[in-house]
Amino acid sequence: MAEELPELDPVIHGKLRLAVLSLLTGMEQADFTWLREKTGSTDGNLGAQMLKLEEVGYVAMEKRFAGRKPQTVYRMTEKGREALSNYVAALKVLLGGAL
Amino acid sequence: MASSEMDGGVSREDLLQRVELMEQMIAEGRRSTTRCGWIFLLWGVVDLAAMSWLHFLPHSHWVGVRAWPTCLIAGAILTCIGLAVQRRRERLGLRVSCCRVGMVWFMLGIALTIFISGAMVNHLSWQSSYIAALLIFVGLAHAISAAILQWRGQGVVAGIWWLGGGAVFFARSQGTVNAIMFAEMCVGMILFGVYAMVLDARSGGNRGRNDG
Repeated sequence: MAEELPELDPVIHGKLRLAVLSLLTGMEQADFTWLREKTGSTDGNLGAQMLKLEEVGYVAMEKRFAGRKPQTVYRMTEKGREALSNYVAALKVLLGGAL
Repeated sequence: MASSEMDGGVSREDLLQRVELMEQMIAEGRRSTTRCGWIFLLWGVVDLAAMSWLHFLPHSHWVGVRAWPTCLIAGAILTCIGLAVQRRRERLGLRVSCCRVGMVWFMLGIALTIFISGAMVNHLSWQSSYIAALLIFVGLAHAISAAILQWRGQGVVAGIWWLGGGAVFFARSQGTVNAIMFAEMCVGMILFGVYAMVLDARSGGNRGRNDG
């Protein structure tokens, strides 16, 4: 019987969501503007994708003020780290020796 | 089904693109640390200034126990000013809290302050083991940063610091110890700082567009 190939998490597989999670993996937290600049995304698109990541519990959002300016800050949750780790493991299996 | 296509209609090229994207974004995240290359450069210059002070002004009133504390305090003040200027330039203040790496270096600062103060009070500051421990401490901070950031370049720098720390134990004269310290400051601080700043400058503006 052929071995079953692992499934890729569809939430993480989206390019922008994957980019954001990869950025957050090396950070404690990052604000919305910084994420938008790094990913070259638009406010609307990034906002929608962040909402999706927040809904599944992969990122946590916090609103605060930097001086007088409002700031939306995101951090990756433990669940998000685990999901990304599983995603990378699945990629390794799917790509075989390419990784 | 195309030869490169896998189950669920996901092609091999698509998966490789995802891998590339992840690598690119992790590297972008790393920029927030390389942006602090100037700090390594500054501390390299501070340390060299203290060493030069001791070497060229051996009989001045301010020499001895005062040279290093004065330079280290000046370095700490300049670092704080530099960080404040850097944050002000970034429009929204603290954009990224690259806390883990920052905390490693902050904790190194605390450890070194305790270590240096204790050694100076007890007049142990020019023993070989003291210098070796200093170099090994700094190497450890580089190694932890390298592990967090998965940055081989910084890992190599950690190795250089440890190599220097080990070499000090075998140094037969104070001159050799000074030469090792000088080499470590030049390579592990100044050269690495410049390298990090060059990386930062090169990667500026290298931004892709990602759609949902």
